[in-house]
Amino acid sequence: MSDTKQTEDAPKKDHGVLYIGMDLGTSRTSVSASNGVRETVYSMVGYPKDVVSMKLLKKEVLFGKEALEKRLSLKLYKPLEKGVLKYTGDAAKDAEAKANLKAAQDLIGEAIRLAKPRKDELVYCVIGAPAEASVKNREAIIEAARAHVDSVMLCSEPFSVAYGLDWLEDVLVVDIGAGTTDLCRMHGTMPEETDQVMYDIAGDAIDEELSRRITETCPGAQFTIHMVKDIKERYGFVGDAPERCMVDLPVDGKPTAFDLTDQIRAACSILIDPIVKGIHKLIASFDPQFQTKLKNRVLLAGGGSMVKGLDSAVEKAMKERLGGGKVIRIEEPIYGGANGALKIAHDMPADFWEQLK
Amino acid sequence: MSGFKETLKDAVRQMSFRTSLDSLKKKGVQQVNVLGIDRIIALIEAAVHRSLKSRLVGVEREAVADATKAEFLRMLRTNEDLQRQKSEIERQKEMVEDEVDQLRREIASQQQALELRLEEGALSMAARYEGENAAIAAKVHEVLKALAAAGSSSITDAEERVMALVMDIVSVERQSADEARRALRDREVDTLQRRIKKLSESLDLTEQRLQSVAAMKSLDGGISSIYREVQGVDFGDVQAGKKKELMAEIFKANLKLQKKQ
Ligand SMILES: Nc1ncnc2c1ncn2[C@@H]1O[C@H](COP(=O)(O)OP(=O)(O)O)[C@@H](O)[C@H]1O
Ligand SMILES: [Mg+2]
Repeated sequence: MSDTKQTEDAPKKDHGVLYIGMDLGTSRTSVSASNGVRETVYSMVGYPKDVVSMKLLKKEVLFGKEALEKRLSLKLYKPLEKGVLKYTGDAAKDAEAKANLKAAQDLIGEAIRLAKPRKDELVYCVIGAPAEASVKNREAIIEAARAHVDSVMLCSEPFSVAYGLDWLEDVLVVDIGAGTTDLCRMHGTMPEETDQVMYDIAGDAIDEELSRRITETCPGAQFTIHMVKDIKERYGFVGDAPERCMVDLPVDGKPTAFDLTDQIRAACSILIDPIVKGIHKLIASFDPQFQTKLKNRVLLAGGGSMVKGLDSAVEKAMKERLGGGKVIRIEEPIYGGANGALKIAHDMPADFWEQLK
Repeated sequence: MSGFKETLKDAVRQMSFRTSLDSLKKKGVQQVNVLGIDRIIALIEAAVHRSLKSRLVGVEREAVADATKAEFLRMLRTNEDLQRQKSEIERQKEMVEDEVDQLRREIASQQQALELRLEEGALSMAARYEGENAAIAAKVHEVLKALAAAGSSSITDAEERVMALVMDIVSVERQSADEARRALRDREVDTLQRRIKKLSESLDLTEQRLQSVAAMKSLDGGISSIYREVQGVDFGDVQAGKKKELMAEIFKANLKLQKKQ
C-alpha cells in the first residue's frame, strides 16, 4: 500500500540504497551512512522565542551548537534528556511533552539531512535507542523517523555498539554518556530489564564534581559549567597523570594559571565505583558457566570512555573485587553506536525492510 | 496623474488572484459581485482624497497626495528590486561555484610548485657540490703534477698540505654561499606557503558563501551511497548464521513495535 503512495508523489528511488546508522543520545546524536558521511550534532533543538528573534535568526529551527550559542533568543529543548524521549503518550494533555516530541522529530530529521541522502535513493535507517526506552518512547522515535526515511528499525544502543565490533554474544557493554552510565549484558538482541543497570553518575556528574572542587581549591577563579566540560574533555584522566593539567581561568577578569591535575583525577574517578559495582551485579547474576567469559569481555563505550586510563582503572578494581577481568575501550566512542547501527542496517535482508515500509 | 492611475491599475492587477468558478462553487459561493478595475482605482483615489480632505486643506492636501503617490511608486520599485536581487543571488551562486573550482585548482598547482621547489633545492645542492669537488680535485692534481715535474721530494706530504689548504678555503666559501642560498630559498618557499595559506583561506570563505547561498535556495543534491542494491549479511562472514538469527530477532521486535500503531 505504501508502494503506490511512493510512486505517486516522490521521485523514483532507483539510484541506490542509502543505509544510515543513528545513535540517538542524550547529549549527542550521531549518524554514520553508507555514502561515507559521518556527522554528529548535540541533541539540542531551539525555536525562536518570538517574531523578533525569528527575524534576527532567519530560521525557524536551530540545532546543536548553534542552538546552544543562540539560546538566549530561543526556546531550547533537549528532547532526549534522561536517555529517553520525554513523551508520555498523553500528548494532548501534556503540551511540554508534545513540544518535546516535535523537537525530537526535528532532530531526527536534521540527523538524516546531515547524512546527505539523495532524493532518488531508498533510505533505510537503523536507530540505536537507549536500552531502557519505554515502548511509548520507542513508538515516538519510530514515528519521528518514518517521516524522513523509507524504512526504519530500532535496536538497543548497547547491542549496536557490540555488533559493530562483531561481538555478538556474552558481552558486557558499559556506555558512559552525559546523564547516565548504562551497563548492559548482551546475550541476544533485545536486553531485558534484568540485563541492565543504570547509574546517573556519568559525564555531567564529573562536570559538577570538578566545578565543586575548583570552587573549593581555586579561590576567585571564574568559570562556567561549559568551561569545566571543555577542561574535562581535554584533560580527563584517572590513575597516573599523563601530563600536568595547567589551565587558565580568569581571576577578577585576569587569566591565571591553575594546576588542576588532582581535581581532574578526583572528579573523573567518581565513575569507577559505580561501573565496577554494576559489572559485579550483572556478572554475579549471569549463568555461572559463562561468567568468566563475560568478565573478560567488558566494553567501554560512549563519550565518557574517553577519560584516559579508565580501562586500566576498571580492570584494576575488577581484579580486587572480582578476581580479574578484561576491559576494552571502543576505538571510536563518538561513532561506535552509529557505526554498529549502520552495520546492522547493511546486514538486514531486503524483505524485512520491505515489510516495515 | 494618469501615469499614477496606470501604475495603480497594474498594482491592483498584481495583487489580485485568479480563481475558477468551479473552485468558488466548491467553497459554497453561488453568486459574486463584479467590480471593474477602473471603478476600483477611482474608489481608491476617492478614498485617499476623502480621508485627506477631512484633515487637510488646499495646497497641503495636494502636497501630501503627491508624496503618498511618490511613496507608492517607490514601494513598487522596491518590489522589483527584490525580484532582481533573487536572480542576482542565483547568478552569484554560479559565480562562487566557479570560484571554488578555480581556487581548488590554484591551490593544487601552488602546492605542486612548492614541492618542486623543495626537491629542486635538494637536488641542485648535491649536484653543485659534486661538480665543485671534482674541480678542486683536478686543480690539486695539476698543482701536484707540476710539483712532481719540478722534482719535489715528498709528494704525499705536499698533497696533504695543499689539500688541507684548499679545503679550508672552500669550506668557508661554501658556508657563506650556502647561507645566502638557503635564505633565498626559504624566502621563496615562505612566499609559496603564504600564498597557499591565503588561497586556502579564501577557499574556505568562498565555500562558506556557497553553502549559505545554497542553503538560501535549498539546492542540495546529496551524496550517493556505495550500494546500488539492498545488501544483507555477507556470504563469507564466519558468523553469518548467528548474524542472520539476530537480524530476524530485531525484525520481529520491530514488527511488533511498528505494526501496533
Ligand atoms: N575526551 C573526553 N573525555 C572525557 N569525557 C568526554 C570526552 N568527550 C566527551 N566526553 C563526555 O561524554 C559525554 C557524552 O557522551 P555521549 O556518549 O556522546 O553521550 P550520550 O550517549 O548521553 O549522548 C559528555 O559528558 C562529554 O562531556
Ligand atoms: Mg550514547
